[in-house]
Amino acid sequence: MSGNDQDLLAGLEAMADATLRKRLELMLAARGAFDQELTACETLDDCQRLKGKYVGRDGSLASEAMPAMRGIPVAHKQTLGAEINSIKKTWEEKIKARQIELEAARKKHTSLTDQWDPTLTPPVPARGALHPLNRLMDRLVEVFRPLGFHVEEGPEVETEAHNFDGLNIPEDHSARASSDTFYLAAHPELLLRTHTSPVQVSTLRRVAHDLAARGGIRFLAPGRVYRKDEIDPTHSPMFHQVEGMLVGHGIGMQHLKGTLEYALRALFGPHTEIRLRPSYFPFVEPGCEVDVSCPLCAAKGCRVCKGSGWVEILGAGLIHPNVLKYAGIDPGEWSGWAFGMGVERMAMMLSQTPDLRLFFENDQRFLKAMGGLD
Amino acid sequence: MWIERKVLTQEVPVVAGLDTRQLCELLASLGFPVDSVTAREGTEALDVDITANRGDAMSHRGLAREVASKLGQSLEPIAVPALQEGAPAVEVRLESPACPVYSTAVMELGTGATPQEAQSFLLALESTPKRLPAVDASNELLHRYGHPTHAFDADRIRGGVSIRWAKDGERLVTLDGVTRTMTGQDLVIADEAGPIALAGVMGGDGTKVTETTRRVLLESAWFDPKTVRATARRHSLHTDASHRFGRGADPAMAPVARDLLVGRLQAWCGAKLVSAWTVGTIPVVSISVVLMESLLTRVAGEPLSLPDAAEALKRLGCTVEVKRDRLRVMPPSWRHDLTIPEDLAEEVLRLRGYEHIPSVLPPLEGPPQPLSQDYLKRQSLARRLAHLGFHQTVTYGFVSPEMDQQTPGPLGQQAFDIPEGRILANPLGLDYSVLRRSLVPSLVEVAKRNLKQGQREVRLFEIAPTFRGLPERPVESWTVALVWAGESWDADPESRAILVKAKHLHGILKDVLRPGTPQNVHPVEDDTILTAEFLLDAVPPPDERIIPAYTPQSRFPAVERDLSVTVPTDLAWQAMHRAVQDALNRTALTDLICADLYRGKSLPAGTKAWLLRLTFQAMDRTLLGEEVDGWVAAALAAAESLGASLRA
Ligand SMILES: [Zn+2]
Repeated sequence: MSGNDQDLLAGLEAMADATLRKRLELMLAARGAFDQELTACETLDDCQRLKGKYVGRDGSLASEAMPAMRGIPVAHKQTLGAEINSIKKTWEEKIKARQIELEAARKKHTSLTDQWDPTLTPPVPARGALHPLNRLMDRLVEVFRPLGFHVEEGPEVETEAHNFDGLNIPEDHSARASSDTFYLAAHPELLLRTHTSPVQVSTLRRVAHDLAARGGIRFLAPGRVYRKDEIDPTHSPMFHQVEGMLVGHGIGMQHLKGTLEYALRALFGPHTEIRLRPSYFPFVEPGCEVDVSCPLCAAKGCRVCKGSGWVEILGAGLIHPNVLKYAGIDPGEWSGWAFGMGVERMAMMLSQTPDLRLFFENDQRFLKAMGGLD
Repeated sequence: MWIERKVLTQEVPVVAGLDTRQLCELLASLGFPVDSVTAREGTEALDVDITANRGDAMSHRGLAREVASKLGQSLEPIAVPALQEGAPAVEVRLESPACPVYSTAVMELGTGATPQEAQSFLLALESTPKRLPAVDASNELLHRYGHPTHAFDADRIRGGVSIRWAKDGERLVTLDGVTRTMTGQDLVIADEAGPIALAGVMGGDGTKVTETTRRVLLESAWFDPKTVRATARRHSLHTDASHRFGRGADPAMAPVARDLLVGRLQAWCGAKLVSAWTVGTIPVVSISVVLMESLLTRVAGEPLSLPDAAEALKRLGCTVEVKRDRLRVMPPSWRHDLTIPEDLAEEVLRLRGYEHIPSVLPPLEGPPQPLSQDYLKRQSLARRLAHLGFHQTVTYGFVSPEMDQQTPGPLGQQAFDIPEGRILANPLGLDYSVLRRSLVPSLVEVAKRNLKQGQREVRLFEIAPTFRGLPERPVESWTVALVWAGESWDADPESRAILVKAKHLHGILKDVLRPGTPQNVHPVEDDTILTAEFLLDAVPPPDERIIPAYTPQSRFPAVERDLSVTVPTDLAWQAMHRAVQDALNRTALTDLICADLYRGKSLPAGTKAWLLRLTFQAMDRTLLGEEVDGWVAAALAAAESLGASLRA
């Protein structure tokens, strides 16, 4: 027994009430047993039981001893009272520490048995794709939107007038032959449009009367077109085009060049160069072919550009006065430009897809790989 | 068209100083791209693209003129032998305005062969020399100067010659051995016995020049382009001659080419001229086109000097008068394509080089227009379906008659269809012969192919027009179709693959269509492939408001109560839902769902079990237990009125 304990005993002996003294004695005597029992605690439940026995609100050694503190003579309050308080505090802290320890062990154990293997595939939401041709057309519309272009569309079944006459295509032009163009059996004057250019005719005719109020017109016309070509790696009887047209005052070749330079740079990158070469289409004058510096090899020369560094991308020109006249627009006041672009051709070039038919076979793996979501 | 470099250089010597790449770029910058270059016969042959409007450029001389003009030079005049025209040796009559001039000559052939140089030239152009001077010379002239000529065996011509319209049903065996039956729109060269050549297209076999030919009748004429094009198309007979006459030859070349042909035969085989003469007159088309300075400036994008423009046009052969603010231009006889001021502006720009055109963004003259609702709807629907796991497909707009019969098309589109109105007159084949009324058969075909190729799940959609045959013309409507097939699995090893059922597709449609739209879901192939099709009109348009009007949400706790009931097997949920909602329509009921569905042996026969989950929440207070108890009792009473009973 230490000197300190002798002090405590002296304090106990000085207590008048034997019942109260007994409670304090029990508490002092339990100090050794507590440490043993704490070490024996294997679970949180064990801790809970221990807590109930020693420091719980009702019926524990501490809860019994606390009221007894009032009976300690003043001379011994300092030593005995402080010791009793300290024992209670120590028990509480020790139980808490043991609880934390056991909790940590339990967590560690759980995570070892239930752990997710991150190399396994987690549940993934279904993911589809837009068709690559549609994505490319959407992209073109996006590129032209900031310049004030909207989208015009027309039917796939067209009249010979819109598809040919209104576009200054001569009556005996070979494109009108039934070897080149699909006609309807019950309606000999109706055909499947061979290009998106009839949208020029229908749109210009529609807006001719209030063209001045509108301040001209500028639009893209994306869509499906049909030509009587046998199906092979580079031909399809149905394919897509995007038509572009602008009508305004004093429009010349410089505006065509400026717009295409902007648009093709937005599509292929800021270092893209464009080149206009004279060419001929009946519905434009002057006409041109437009090349871009090869986007695949930065114009160094590759298989796609056949070593030239240039890729032909579209046909264009200033709207032929006859096209404006046919639509009821005065070519003396108004002028404009138009272009037409083959979507499959551009998609094949950009993706180096070797066979045009792949775009219409719709192999889901191809669509997933080529399409994307936005 | 093949161009041989040595002969091009003879016409325009400056070409000698250009390497192949420079020459190709020069030609491309003029509008004549070179498709390929081949070394042949000790020289280079260039395959040059000539656009349909430039018949005048379909020769070495023609391209030489372009190159010379671009480089600021002019061509040497053609060296033509001095030839005296004399009396006709044979009677030649022009009976149609489609042939206004016919230069001809009769010659007696000597001995001698086509010179090696001419043979090599033809070989370089992939043309086989016949080793008959009259034939080879005509061919060589065509490629060199662009004017087609022809030599007949004069001794096989019976009587006089007339250039006339064929009689319907008249026959001619052409040089290729094919018997041609002609119509009244075919122009022919005929002797007294009948046609001996299709004018401007091909000679006849009966009068062709052979090794035994002693005397030849030469032809160098001008034929109406439209007539030649029509005949070539009617007989599917496209020849070097028809290409050039069809695009418009130079009428002034008729006597010149005749003279050149005579000169070559004299030189190559010592032929003797019997007589040379011309019937008819060279048609003079004296059109003049006025090019205003303002138009030139507008097209070019910057002011160009009128005298410089005049110089450029003169180099191309035009006669030009320079006025203060305009040019009065008479195009040369070989340029039928120069008819409007814009044509002239193009020529000025072309010679100057398109690379000099400035680059300017066109100014906005009015407010931009919005994208149409219809277009936006399709864009957002496509994105939505892609995000829901569907793949956008593109299939042909025409199908076989069998496929067309497979499905009726989208709802609302099935009435008033005359299938005959959707049939093509000249399809690629029966498989591509009907404009489709439904997208589904095409998608099902794609789905089957994908399943066969090992895809476990196929989710496809297409947005495209479908067609309806109406008496006046077919009508097109934007249509959407979905196909879902196979088994669905989210790749998580702890979850199971589920067979796709109709309810899954209904769920997608419920999400995408206007509320209350009938759902056109159909299983095909023993229910393994599910399809749905609807008109784009069934999809609600994007919200007009940027942000919808504010609706307040309750800040008080929600109370959830479950009712487990058995109901008759044939009771539909909709009836239960309506009955309970009606019974509780003045309460704080905010949601009513069937949270669980059970069918099993433990239930009384003819019943199934539903777990009704009711959610209550008030806007203004916390609900009391007793009032909720009352509502639940009312809900049970409503359910019982439909034959439900509370499960023990
Ligand atoms: Zn390249």
